[in-house]
Amino acid sequence: MDLLWQGLVNGILLGGLYSLMALGLALVWGVLNIVNLAHGAFIMLGGYACYYMFSGLGIDPFVALPATMAALFVFGYLLQRHLINLVIRAPMFNTLLLTFGIDVVLTYSAQIAFSADFRTINPSYAGAHFTWLGATIPLVRLIACAIAIALTLLLWLFLARTRLGRAIRATAQNLVAARLYGVEPRSIYALTFGIGAALAGGAGALYGVVSQLNPYIGVSLTAKSFVIAIIGGLESPLGVIAGGLILGLVESMTSLYVGATYTDVASFGILVLVLVVRPTGLFGRTT
Amino acid sequence: MNRYLSRLSLAAALAFACAALTFAAPAGAAITLGASVQLSGGLANTGRYYRDGYEFAIDQINKAGGVKVGGKQEQLALKILDNQSDNNLAVRQYTQLITADKIGLLLGPFASDAVLATSSVAEKYEVPMIQGGGASDQIFSRGYKYIFGTLPVASKYFESTIDAMGKLTPAPKTAALLFADDAFDVAVADGTRKLLQKAGLKIVLDERYSSNASDFSSLLSRIKSDQPDAVLVSGHETEVLNFIRQAKSLGVSPHFYSFTVGVPSADFRKALGKDADYAFGMTSWLPSAAEKDAWFGDADKFAAAWHQRFGYEPDYHAASAVADVEAYAKAIEAAGSTDPKKLRDAIAHLDFPSLYGRIRFDAVGQISLPQTVIQVQNGKVVPIYGATGFIGKALYPMPAWSKR
Repeated sequence: MDLLWQGLVNGILLGGLYSLMALGLALVWGVLNIVNLAHGAFIMLGGYACYYMFSGLGIDPFVALPATMAALFVFGYLLQRHLINLVIRAPMFNTLLLTFGIDVVLTYSAQIAFSADFRTINPSYAGAHFTWLGATIPLVRLIACAIAIALTLLLWLFLARTRLGRAIRATAQNLVAARLYGVEPRSIYALTFGIGAALAGGAGALYGVVSQLNPYIGVSLTAKSFVIAIIGGLESPLGVIAGGLILGLVESMTSLYVGATYTDVASFGILVLVLVVRPTGLFGRTT
Repeated sequence: MNRYLSRLSLAAALAFACAALTFAAPAGAAITLGASVQLSGGLANTGRYYRDGYEFAIDQINKAGGVKVGGKQEQLALKILDNQSDNNLAVRQYTQLITADKIGLLLGPFASDAVLATSSVAEKYEVPMIQGGGASDQIFSRGYKYIFGTLPVASKYFESTIDAMGKLTPAPKTAALLFADDAFDVAVADGTRKLLQKAGLKIVLDERYSSNASDFSSLLSRIKSDQPDAVLVSGHETEVLNFIRQAKSLGVSPHFYSFTVGVPSADFRKALGKDADYAFGMTSWLPSAAEKDAWFGDADKFAAAWHQRFGYEPDYHAASAVADVEAYAKAIEAAGSTDPKKLRDAIAHLDFPSLYGRIRFDAVGQISLPQTVIQVQNGKVVPIYGATGFIGKALYPMPAWSKR
């Protein structure tokens, strides 16, 4: 019983971080109709940005988080405006090819710039934990999970309430109608991509605090984000949170009761199941 | 549209240029050794030790005049390709090295999976491969004649550790065994399971996990609930880093834990800082003045020279890579030829002291070296237990994380 409870807690905390990882990918996918294969590389870059602010300048990782996100926002904005926008109307295959190329360039540049050394963002409280109702709760994971959920809610509010957010949603829903109402899709696309990159950067910083960084973490993180986006659907950030939590819980339970080697089988099994039963995602709108 | 295409093709060209970065051998060299190593990709971190080791050894041998073949001094050269941590690419690259570049002396890649795949190429073309990166018993159980290894047998990696555990007070009575699902770690686990049973320890948790797993919270929760005295982990360095960090954040501290990789590497201790303390590990090599070497003087001098050249401390991967090149130099001189078949027989009969230890291959082509138990104490690697018994004081039992 204790183990089950601890497993649930582990799964939820892991799922929170997963949600934040996937949020940017789902947003960009939903609005720009681009599956950004370089998403994991953005997470990696965010991790390194935070690592260097922490180890080089001594800035607390949670203080460095907004700066990391701002840097990645600028990076994402410029990348979309000057490179990805060139293929925005091209078939899906071209955008996949381009983002794959960006992923390769970023990954190998990172190895040249940062070396293949493993890095960890290791503040003194990285290992702090407390006990709650018999379960051990790692402090940093709890904060990471809380930040992930807070950012998701902020994004949801932004999309639902602000003028800019409505313009983003309008562009995603009906491009022609949005244009007729005076929305300039070029800047909306760049902004959305920037926000997606910023969220990836934030996820990377938190990932560096709970796990380890090297130039090659991107590929598996892109895959994980992809699975979550499919499970949660692209309609709303809240679906992504649910998708992340489901994946976290499934992995945790599989590892606990089936075997640690089967976590990937379980998570990709769910992906296939969702695609068969509800292709728009568990929380996506059926058309 | 043209503008799109030109920008796109530029991006594509850049991507390919980066992916295909290779390092060409100097032209006109007499004897070229060929290798395909993980210089990028997930295993780049350890792969570079092999590149550095091969290059350093060849430079040192050339500085001393090269090798003597038929009364003539010849220089050595290296053709090294980057396999991007992709075993399929490594297989193609070794085929290319043998068939297109006509290289008859192969050095190995890192890790058992890559060696398992690529050694079949060497065997097929009957070209010797001396490798210091693969230890899985599987590599040497296929009856191959052209593959030689300078890492000790995987199934015995934990042998000295389990011996040492029996002599600690209080001796651990129960153990947990965690291992990744690749050729090397499965071989380690199969051997370790038998050794634990023979030593009379009860295995309370025996779990295989997927390579590159980044979340260990479930496994750690099971360790916390089963409370084994000792935890033995056979995996990759990234997993060991995650394991230790997450053990701390979940407050899991068994009395004893040991890892097959990571502990001897400077990079590992740097990434973990103080949290690396108390971790046990093993190494087939430690720098000492007792290990004499024909080119580097001794292992101590070698370690100092390595640090000066590369800016980091060598570990057993590095020393093993250097030993591979030295084995070729000795074998070429003994055979008086670079003919692959003659060379193969000369390698099989080698017996010489090196900075890495005594190089002598057994009937299946593997070296026999004892693993020294080591422990991180105050950020330094301290030898604890060797072939002769305890050589250092073990910090045992490991204190709880909150009491450090």
